[in-house]
Amino acid sequence: MMNDSLFKKLSESIKLRKEIFLLTITDCDEHELIGFKALLLPMGEFYAASPPPPSLQQMILNHSEKLVKRKRSGTFTFTWNGLKVECFAEYFPVPIHLIIAGAGHVCEPVARIGKMLGFYVTVIDDRNEFANRDRFPHVDEVVCQSFLNFFKKAELTEQTYILLLTRGHKYDVLSLQELLKRQEKPAYIGMIGSRRRISGVFEQLKGDFPKESFDQLFTPVGLDIGAQTPEEIAVSIMAEILKVKNRTSGSSLSLMIRNYAKLGFREGEIKWNSFT
Amino acid sequence: MEQLHIIKRTMEIKAAGEDAALATIIRTKGSTPRKTGSKMIIFLSGRIEGTIGGGCGEAEVIEEAIKVIQLSIPIKHIVDLTKGLFYEDGGICGGIMEVYIEKV
Repeated sequence: MMNDSLFKKLSESIKLRKEIFLLTITDCDEHELIGFKALLLPMGEFYAASPPPPSLQQMILNHSEKLVKRKRSGTFTFTWNGLKVECFAEYFPVPIHLIIAGAGHVCEPVARIGKMLGFYVTVIDDRNEFANRDRFPHVDEVVCQSFLNFFKKAELTEQTYILLLTRGHKYDVLSLQELLKRQEKPAYIGMIGSRRRISGVFEQLKGDFPKESFDQLFTPVGLDIGAQTPEEIAVSIMAEILKVKNRTSGSSLSLMIRNYAKLGFREGEIKWNSFT
Repeated sequence: MEQLHIIKRTMEIKAAGEDAALATIIRTKGSTPRKTGSKMIIFLSGRIEGTIGGGCGEAEVIEEAIKVIQLSIPIKHIVDLTKGLFYEDGGICGGIMEVYIEKV
């Protein structure tokens, strides 16, 4: 059973963007041990409300190693003092940080879907009338600041996804000048715009940056689903972000299934999925 | 994040002195509707929050969870979705999942 201190530590770790594992003993000959819970940080820090015997803790640590390395949830079993123990290690990844620059019409549904998907959402705009809590009550952060200053300091990691939905191409230029200068690289930079606007932005930047630095940009943003309204555009953009995050093709699943269906359904022995 | 949200809910439910159980998928085999780590809260009335995939499998887990609440003993339950393609409720995923159920 989860207690308050364990839960506090778990949610704090995620808030600080530190990944963490929650361990639960799910089966054991010694029934008292079932339900035991502890937290494990990738650096090996182990935290339990009431510490287990050191030898048991060591066994759990050893067996978690593979899952920690692979950043995956899984269940493992081992024998400790003649007892069979089963432990479920649940991975809590660092939530994706979605930064939306430009708090206009498209930003609203994008922010909403971002929250639905469990992302940590920051909205940034330099205008008070747009970057405020009344317009974005559900996002994690609303920042009213110049784009330039914001992107100078924003934390960029492989969990950072940036969308430039600003009101004019000069703001995109300012933002990109800062972003492309940075050593750290985000997972995704998407920029909305017509072909004309995009070439205008590139025209202004090309003197300062090598051609290759534009290859990492997703512009225009979104998947090709014929999006027109802000809501449709938001779906198209978020679908692209998921595609990048999950490293998939973004094409219809039915394309694949059509080939499988020709082979017919098959029954037979199946194996537990990996890491379980 | 959904996982954390459900755990947060269990803390709120416990603080309010309500009886409920938490079911978590800890292993899967083959094709299952939801993956390892998916969670669902079950109340004594049978009401649920979250989902571990719906259909017959979920109904089985709800029944088991009510026992867990009454007896205060955690259990594991295996949901077998390989029993053929013609479930009335459409649960035809074709996999097996192991679910750990504990009182909140």
